[in-house]
Amino acid sequence: MNIDPVKALDDKIERLKKELKSLETRIDNAQTDAAHHQLSQANQLKDSNRKLTKTDDRVTELAESVHRLERLLVALNRKVRASETRKADFDEWPEIGETDLAKILKGQEAYARRSFTPQEAKDTRRAIAEYDKAAREAMDAAEALTHLPPNAEALWRTNYKQWQAIQDVERPQPPDDDTHAKDSVAKSTGNEAIKHARVVIRGRIEDAVASDLLFPAWFENILGPAAPPGRADDWLYTATDVVLYRLLHKITSPADALGPVPEEDGHRKTLHVRLTGECADYRRP
Amino acid sequence: MAADPFARLADRQQSLRTALRALQAAGPGSPDFPTLLDTTNEHVQAVMQARRDVEAARLTVPNRAIAAATTAAAFIVAIGWFDPWSLLSLLAAVATAAAVLVDPTGPRLWEPRARTAAITAALAATLLTPIASGWATLVTLAGIAWWAWRTLK
Repeated sequence: MNIDPVKALDDKIERLKKELKSLETRIDNAQTDAAHHQLSQANQLKDSNRKLTKTDDRVTELAESVHRLERLLVALNRKVRASETRKADFDEWPEIGETDLAKILKGQEAYARRSFTPQEAKDTRRAIAEYDKAAREAMDAAEALTHLPPNAEALWRTNYKQWQAIQDVERPQPPDDDTHAKDSVAKSTGNEAIKHARVVIRGRIEDAVASDLLFPAWFENILGPAAPPGRADDWLYTATDVVLYRLLHKITSPADALGPVPEEDGHRKTLHVRLTGECADYRRP
Repeated sequence: MAADPFARLADRQQSLRTALRALQAAGPGSPDFPTLLDTTNEHVQAVMQARRDVEAARLTVPNRAIAAATTAAAFIVAIGWFDPWSLLSLLAAVATAAAVLVDPTGPRLWEPRARTAAITAALAATLLTPIASGWATLVTLAGIAWWAWRTLK
């Protein structure tokens, strides 16, 4: 034991200093360890990232090759079936005669035709009456031209002007009173013909599906190899429409189901656009 | 086709009468009315052309004579009442007279008489020049405007 208190304190301080130093060393060590640890973790993360990217690339490649295989499979399937299966015929429709087609087309025309409202009919009739009056006046003027003396210039001018007034005007078409009645008859017969044609076409398509017949190339091109699962009814409806469209518009291309887009706007173009969209939807995986 | 313009006019008026009778018989509602209207219109054009020819035959000599008189008067006024400001009017009158001398009737339907009006205005302007000096140009210009308006309308 130290008797000298100062000495004792000094010793204590010395001890404490030593302890402090050892503590500092330990902290330093701990820090270094932690840094090491972090670094290795970061490295690991980087590694796994790289691995993930590689896997992603691989998956994309695989998906592409699966897609290729799928298409090959469809083609192959077709070839295999072509060798031994009976083919479905969606091009000849003896059940649907020319008269039916004409009825359908007439009905579509009737739907497309704008019918006169009573006010329009009245206006048109008034315009016709005006035209007729002007025409009669013009004819009187021309009559005057046949016996005027050559030097009565003012008269020649007025009569000639009156005659000219009728030249650039068209007589409006008279509103037909029974257009409406005729159109509604055409519409209803057209609707009936369409219903009949739809039943016939749908029946044949269903038969072809049931007995696994090989569809024509144009049919498979636009509607895919089979109905998408769970949407058979919609698919059959669109298929019927496609066949009916080909039939109505005399499209005979063996590969292109709907033919080129019609140039003029109207029912046919709308239908073409609608069918193209729907079929693209059915072909999507 | 008769060579004499008067006979030709009568001839064409006759054929217009025939065409017109068909048109009147058809009436505006009939389906061949537009075609008949076109044929009749051709006949009307032919009649108008024939009338122009009659007018042209009647007015060629008077127009030429007035144009020549205008030219002569312009020379006399230019020398007798010399004034640089009046020369404008005289030049305009002489230019009009030259145009009428070269072609006294013009090609268009209403042109013969319009040319007569224009050249008469030019003559009047020439005769007015000693009094109105350059302002007489306005008379010539009015005549030319009348000519253009009557011809093109």
